[in-house]
Amino acid sequence: MKLIHTADWQLGKPYGRFEPEVRAALSEARFDAIDAIGREAARHGADHVMVAGDVFDTEGPEDRTIVQAISRMERHACRWWLLPGNHDFARNGGLWDRVRHRAGSCITVLSEAQAHEIEPGIWLLPAPLTHRHNLDDPTELFDTMATPGGRIRIGLAHGSIRDFGTQGETKNQIAPDRARRSTLDYLALGDWHGTLNIDARTWYAGTPETDRFQRDEPGQILLVDIGEGRDPVVTPIRTGRFQWIKRSWTVNDQAGFNAECDQLLGSIDPPSTLLELSLAGITSLTDRVGMLGRLENDVGHRVRYLDVRAADLVGRPSADDLASLAVEGMLGVAAAKLSAAIETGGPDGLIAKRALERLFVEYSREDRA
Amino acid sequence: MSLYLRRIAIDGFRKFREAMAIEGLTDGLNIVIEPNETGKSTVLEALRAAFFVRHGTKNQLAQSFAPYGEAVGPEIQVSFDADGAPWTVTKRFLRGASIEVTGPQGKAQGEEAEARLHALLGSVRDTSQRGDAGSYGALGLLWVAQAEALTVTGPGQIVRDTVRSTLEAEVGSIMGGPAYARVRTRIDEQYGRYWSPTGQKRGRQNEARERVEQAEAAARDASERLAGLERTFSELESARSRLKVVHREIADDTDVQARKDLTASLETARAAAQILATRRAEHEAISAKTRNLEDLVDRHRKATDERTSAELALEAARSRRAEVREGLATAQQRLADARSALEAARTARQEARRALSAGEELLRTSRRRSAVSAARARHAELVDLERLQVEAAALTATLIPAKAMDAIEANERLVAEARAARAAGATRVALVGDAAGILIDGEPMAIGERTLSGETRVRFGNAELIITPPAGAASAEGALSSALERQASAFADLGLTSLAEARARNDTARDAVGELRTIAARIAAVTPADDVIGLASGPDALKLFIVELVDEDEAVEADIPDVALLTAKLEAADTALARAEGAQESAVEALRRAEKEDAPLASAEAGAASTLANANGQIETIEGRPEFPTLAADVVRAREQTAEAAVKLEEATRDATAHDPAAITRRIETIDARVKAAGEARVKLEMDVARLEGTVESEGGKGLADREAGAREEAEAARAALQRITEESDTLKLLRDTLDEARDETSAKFVGPVAKRAKRHIERLLPGCDLSFSEDLTLEAVVRGGISEGCGDLSRGTQEQLAVLTRIAFADMLLEQGRPVSLILDDPLVYADDARLDLMIEILSEAAERMQVVLLTCRDRAFRHVPGNRLSMARILLDGV
Repeated sequence: MKLIHTADWQLGKPYGRFEPEVRAALSEARFDAIDAIGREAARHGADHVMVAGDVFDTEGPEDRTIVQAISRMERHACRWWLLPGNHDFARNGGLWDRVRHRAGSCITVLSEAQAHEIEPGIWLLPAPLTHRHNLDDPTELFDTMATPGGRIRIGLAHGSIRDFGTQGETKNQIAPDRARRSTLDYLALGDWHGTLNIDARTWYAGTPETDRFQRDEPGQILLVDIGEGRDPVVTPIRTGRFQWIKRSWTVNDQAGFNAECDQLLGSIDPPSTLLELSLAGITSLTDRVGMLGRLENDVGHRVRYLDVRAADLVGRPSADDLASLAVEGMLGVAAAKLSAAIETGGPDGLIAKRALERLFVEYSREDRA
Repeated sequence: MSLYLRRIAIDGFRKFREAMAIEGLTDGLNIVIEPNETGKSTVLEALRAAFFVRHGTKNQLAQSFAPYGEAVGPEIQVSFDADGAPWTVTKRFLRGASIEVTGPQGKAQGEEAEARLHALLGSVRDTSQRGDAGSYGALGLLWVAQAEALTVTGPGQIVRDTVRSTLEAEVGSIMGGPAYARVRTRIDEQYGRYWSPTGQKRGRQNEARERVEQAEAAARDASERLAGLERTFSELESARSRLKVVHREIADDTDVQARKDLTASLETARAAAQILATRRAEHEAISAKTRNLEDLVDRHRKATDERTSAELALEAARSRRAEVREGLATAQQRLADARSALEAARTARQEARRALSAGEELLRTSRRRSAVSAARARHAELVDLERLQVEAAALTATLIPAKAMDAIEANERLVAEARAARAAGATRVALVGDAAGILIDGEPMAIGERTLSGETRVRFGNAELIITPPAGAASAEGALSSALERQASAFADLGLTSLAEARARNDTARDAVGELRTIAARIAAVTPADDVIGLASGPDALKLFIVELVDEDEAVEADIPDVALLTAKLEAADTALARAEGAQESAVEALRRAEKEDAPLASAEAGAASTLANANGQIETIEGRPEFPTLAADVVRAREQTAEAAVKLEEATRDATAHDPAAITRRIETIDARVKAAGEARVKLEMDVARLEGTVESEGGKGLADREAGAREEAEAARAALQRITEESDTLKLLRDTLDEARDETSAKFVGPVAKRAKRHIERLLPGCDLSFSEDLTLEAVVRGGISEGCGDLSRGTQEQLAVLTRIAFADMLLEQGRPVSLILDDPLVYADDARLDLMIEILSEAAERMQVVLLTCRDRAFRHVPGNRLSMARILLDGV
């Protein structure tokens, strides 16, 4: 049988540090991912979608978030199995009760640790989380679940693998050999936002729509083909619209910077790219101004979002810089004063550095004019 | 290079309603001397208009060019040489405004022509209403209108920039004015978005801060609401688990079973309690009966014992009293004896006392009697003495007072003297013979001598002899008779007849006085005081005493008893009485002792008798009761019955204790209370759960967690934005401040060279001076002998001269830069003294070697001697305009 394994939808994530339009696009993309998943399920003949926790970003989302999620899911023919994770843990009167109130029959909330026979002989063993912070291994309960006449046992859990040393968010740790121990044919895990293969029968699907600068891969889901008495066949499928990429460049002049820029822009789809760019190196002030100017006036407008960290890009006024200002008399004197303040260092030195740069920017702007 | 004006023609411009021109201007010094009101100043104004006022402008300045009341187009035509090339500018304002410039580049008109002039002269377009000399460049400074040079002023921006660029090489620094101004404008604009002109935060800084505050408040609020919801969740959870426990408790039927068992055992317990009560009553009854019987036996026994002991005690008391009674009688007898002895002693003593008193009375009476008789004797003597005293006093009273005596004595002397005087003056007549018939003064005249003291008629028959003694005799006679009369009257008053008698009477009176004294002493001697009869001293006391004695009889003299003997007898009686009293007291004491011994015995006897009577009464009563005969047997039987009842009671008690209804009831109540409490708790918890579920439902749907996360991120973003804005504003502030400092520092560098050049000229006027220029190249002060004087404080003349000299200095600096300069001074040096005027003209003449200098003046005499090109204004016809 085929099923879709996904996790960490984090619906309702606020993205507060972004500008409103970026924020709206990112939020919307998370809902769109549901449609993407539904379409992929239909295309690959998967009747079931297992969501391994963190469907919602918080335990108390807006009604709109819930309704959007449900209405998107119900547009598709497949069945949706939703597991409470640490972000959206199950509790009485909580989020999942609200979801149940609105959801139709195609959506099942797995808020109880209780096996479901999803198809004749095929059992789903969920390990829902009931607290924001869980210290126990929730999958231990698998061993207590009866699966009469089970041909295929599928585990669904949320948390980091014990001793795996990942940067998973949850404190509960799942035994790395849980699939073997509980004789599972497949263990679908959530929490880790990238796709990750633990062993032949244990996978993290990752988030279908990336939500942070962590790795370059866009969001994926896993198409899992499970057969009796064999390892599952797992195929990642891209669903994410946005790519969140981090780059650190060490550049020492405008030319090098331009080369990096051109290369990057050639390799990405800028409108769906969020870029966190760290610059390091020592350049002339003119070059630094030029680089930042290109980022601000060109690259920043091309990509969806640009976060430049240029603190390590040291713009030292070169002899030419100073000479070009010196011929301007008073501007040269001001530049010299600021340079002296930079040499003195301290917090004032930082401000002086910015002031000097600004002086160059305004002066250079005149050049262009 | 110098700019050389050659010809200036003006038509319809202000006071030049008619066309006029100044022609023939040469290189060097040109002097135009014209009287006041000729229009010299208008010529300068027209020059400025031709070069710097836009031909098309309708500004106030241009409007003022038209002659008053005329709507003409004022026109100016100037020919000049610049950089060796001839130029002409023809400009017309207002009506038919136009400009035409002819120069080395050919002819130009309109804006092109204006632009060529600006390029040549370094001026800029003037956009002001009234004309701005600052925009005229160098010539704005050097073409000095009347009174403009009276105070020292700084050069405008254009001149400053030109001068600075002239000096840049020398200073080794440049101003870079235009680039600076552009950058500075931008920075100021950006600065203005963050800071107020006074450096207060505003605009974006405040917006960012407000955004942070709002976002943080929102985040706090969202966080609190979310925390509230979370609390509700945990309360709900705990209420649910408590409810579960309560339900379990209610479902448990242990209590129900226990209660059923307890109810059954409660019945048993009640029956047992009933039996116990019966047994207790039975036991109580038989016990009481036994106690009564035993009590009766006991009392009988006690009464018998009492009777026995009382009899013994009575016997003993009686025998003891018999012994005591004898002693008691003896003591009573003794006391009676002592009392009669005492009575006898008292009587004897009274007798003795009475005898003594009588004796003493007799003695006293006898003494008084002898004293009274002595007083009587003295009284008789006193009576005699008092009679003598009265007589002597009468004699004493006859004493003639000394004054009367003196008068008598004096009268006597007067009589004697009067007699002598009469005898001396009187007429002595003697009758001899027969005296019959002779009458003297009508009376028969006696024989003998006679003294006549007055007219005396002696009749002899029919004859009368009239004798008249001398006058003196008559008065002596008078004096004598009056003296005699007075003496007689005095004697009559005193009852005397003669002086001798008077004297004898006085002697007797004096003797009587001495007698009186003697008598008084004797009276005192016979009237002493006498205590025996209570008599005071003095005659009056004695006389009073005697008068009072009248009634007292002369008592018969009795025998005087021996008082001493009587006294001794009384003492003996006293002693006897004391002894008798002592004996009686002793007898009383003895009796009391005897009685004391007898009293307890008597009461013991009485008590024993009473006890005995009582005991006998009781025994009689008890023995009289009907049950007495079978008493002993009854007691034994009653005791047996009591023991049986006690055993039964013991059994009943055991039964009742085993089933305590109170304890069972308490346990039942406990179970009931538990059930009730569980029910109440369930109701309350169900209410709580419902309420909390309601809250969770209503609050949970609001997406509080989403909002909280969103608000938190917004707050972080706002803080980051504030951080960026703060950095940005600090950066701009620092940059702006730095630009200010740079400008000030750079400007300061140019001051020195400017001062050096100016000093060359000014030193000739004020030898040894130093100059102080401000950063904008204004001459601020002159330092002479170490003392700095502000330009405004200098004399008007010096200020004017300095103003001209600094202009020459700037003109020289502009010349160095190759600027077309010329110097026009309208009515200059009006305050200069002759020496200074000469010096200034000398300096101007030297300057005229480097540049064209035009002086417009009305002071013919002052400038008459100055060598130069003299010109005047002449009316002309403008050609071809």
